[in-house]
Amino acid sequence: MNSILKVCVGQQAVRNFLKPTLETFTITSRGKKLLNPPPRKRLSPWLIKQNRVQHRDDLTPENKEFIQQVIKDKYAPSNNDIERFSPLKLDTIEPITEWQPHYRRVGVIAKKIGIVPLWLKNGKKIITTMLQVSDNHVIKYIPPEEYKPMISKRKTVWPRTMGCLIVGAESCDPQLFTKEYCGLFNDSGVMPKRLLARFSISPEAALQPGTPLSASHFQIGDFIDIRGKTIDRGFQGVMKRWGFHGMPASHGVTKTHRRPGNIGSGSHKARVLPGTKMPGHMGNRYRIIRGQRIIRMNTKYNIIWIHGDAVAGATNSFVQIYDTVLPFKTSKALNVTPRFPTYFPNLQKEALPEELFADDLHNFADPTIIYTDE
Amino acid sequence: MAITGKIRLNLQFKKPLRYFLHDSRKISTVVSEKINENLKESNNERLDNTKLPLELLDYRFKFAEFLPDPNPLHRNKIREKLERRDMLLRRSNVEIPEFYVGSILAVNYSDQHAPGKQNRFLGICISRTGQGLRASFILRNVIDKMGVEISYFLYDPTIQKIEVIRLEKRLDEELFYLRDAPPEYSTFPLDMRAKIHAHGTCVPINEIKVPLNPLPWLQRWERMNMKGIIDCKSMVNEKRRIKAEYKIHTKPWEKYDLMKMYRETIPIEEQKEIFAEIYSSLQEHEIHRLKSKRTRSLVKPIKTG
Repeated sequence: MNSILKVCVGQQAVRNFLKPTLETFTITSRGKKLLNPPPRKRLSPWLIKQNRVQHRDDLTPENKEFIQQVIKDKYAPSNNDIERFSPLKLDTIEPITEWQPHYRRVGVIAKKIGIVPLWLKNGKKIITTMLQVSDNHVIKYIPPEEYKPMISKRKTVWPRTMGCLIVGAESCDPQLFTKEYCGLFNDSGVMPKRLLARFSISPEAALQPGTPLSASHFQIGDFIDIRGKTIDRGFQGVMKRWGFHGMPASHGVTKTHRRPGNIGSGSHKARVLPGTKMPGHMGNRYRIIRGQRIIRMNTKYNIIWIHGDAVAGATNSFVQIYDTVLPFKTSKALNVTPRFPTYFPNLQKEALPEELFADDLHNFADPTIIYTDE
Repeated sequence: MAITGKIRLNLQFKKPLRYFLHDSRKISTVVSEKINENLKESNNERLDNTKLPLELLDYRFKFAEFLPDPNPLHRNKIREKLERRDMLLRRSNVEIPEFYVGSILAVNYSDQHAPGKQNRFLGICISRTGQGLRASFILRNVIDKMGVEISYFLYDPTIQKIEVIRLEKRLDEELFYLRDAPPEYSTFPLDMRAKIHAHGTCVPINEIKVPLNPLPWLQRWERMNMKGIIDCKSMVNEKRRIKAEYKIHTKPWEKYDLMKMYRETIPIEEQKEIFAEIYSSLQEHEIHRLKSKRTRSLVKPIKTG
């Protein structure tokens, strides 16, 4: 759809005389459907302006120290203790410990920290991606009756069965944020977070705001979906964007070494068919990679190793991970009981070991792999 | 799987292959000799203050794979830390000796398809790449008149033993030109006896220079300024000789590039941090190795033949 912008320029009389006061121009909306599709979900109510303009306050070092002290007093250091709930401005949510296969758990925000090779017990080398679950806390729970994310024109809307849990990651200095943004964290009592994400959950999996989430939320052998933003590659040609082969480098070829060639459309159609692969903007889009297996875990640093190297985004970028939706890889299909609603370290009799390995993964502390005759 | 890397066979009239591995980032201590000396002098004082042993300065060559990739976009401190921990755990199970490009190594490794389920390969190390767990090296030898190269991952758990037959360096950082040299320069008998390198002495530099086969070559060696090649510029035609003199190949501006060293290496302060962390466990392995070496020498050799 074409949009018309009206720009008024200038207020002064001289300027008005020299310049036209009203300019109208149209912006063509080619490729708009593909690049910026209309949002299917409503903007989140918590998605308000995050960062404030940093004014230069001439504070003395003592005053700066005092501000840091106030912040420290207000937000106690985040620990992985479930006892430290919020100062109870909300109704407490009692955890239901019994797991049912149709329940849906919350996910976590993780940082992609690198790709390393590991070896299986049969000596095969595999590529793994390391994800760090960094300082995650539950911020808010929205029950199903209040949670209306989808934009729909239907008159009769079915009652929703799924609620929403907002999770934050990476505590930051509250001075960086706006007052309104810091207000989001008042109820949960945690330090303002740099990153927020919402996860659609069943109401039984709701968690008390302020609950810490760790890598132990998942188990070894679980399959997870990972949503991340791909690396922004800018405007790219068809060879990089779609993997076309291009044209020969020599043999009389001129000026068409990396071009797409014919783009189809016969004599009757006389148009380019929608969805034709052409040059354009590449990357910087959310992509979900499904059904990744967790093969190793570090509970001290909250790190998950997954088999595969196709997680969207560069090193040190953030991703959202949650239980997979692939029907044959869910905990229902695998017949395992996940940690529901999450892992509570103080409710367990024994603490988890620091390093956890899948059965077929080689631990570097083990001796050299030697094959034996069967 | 059985063989830890790719095996490349150098057939005589084969098309040029891709010569470098995918992640063939050079090891982060690639520095010229002169600057090394300067650094050593200037850092002696600084190290004295912190009371760290001088050995740490040699560690960046000895254990170069412990230093991360200098590109800040690829770095993450926690990942590097966990990688180093895994590497040390692996080192406690197998002795990974000090070696350089140009050293002759023999690798024993588990091989599912070999008789006796294990194999041994001896050859000259022609390149070392990668940091952390992805550190790897390539061995080259000529077997039955055919060039064979195997690339191994240093921390591959199927490697049973790495023997250093000759601990020495060559004039260059990588010896891919041996592919274009006559086969006698990369032929080593598989039953070569190890020459004992005295502990604490510096590593000798083998200043051998190799001639190249007549053209065609796999790479344009006349442009590479390799020290270990005998006069390859006279072997190419006039046109290629002139092209080799182009500034884009000789790169005369590189000696004025003040940031080049900084971009390609890890700063000495960070190196100190990294090596201080792993120093004690590396030292333990070293002591253990020397102990076992002493006990091994007491075993009486068996006479054969």
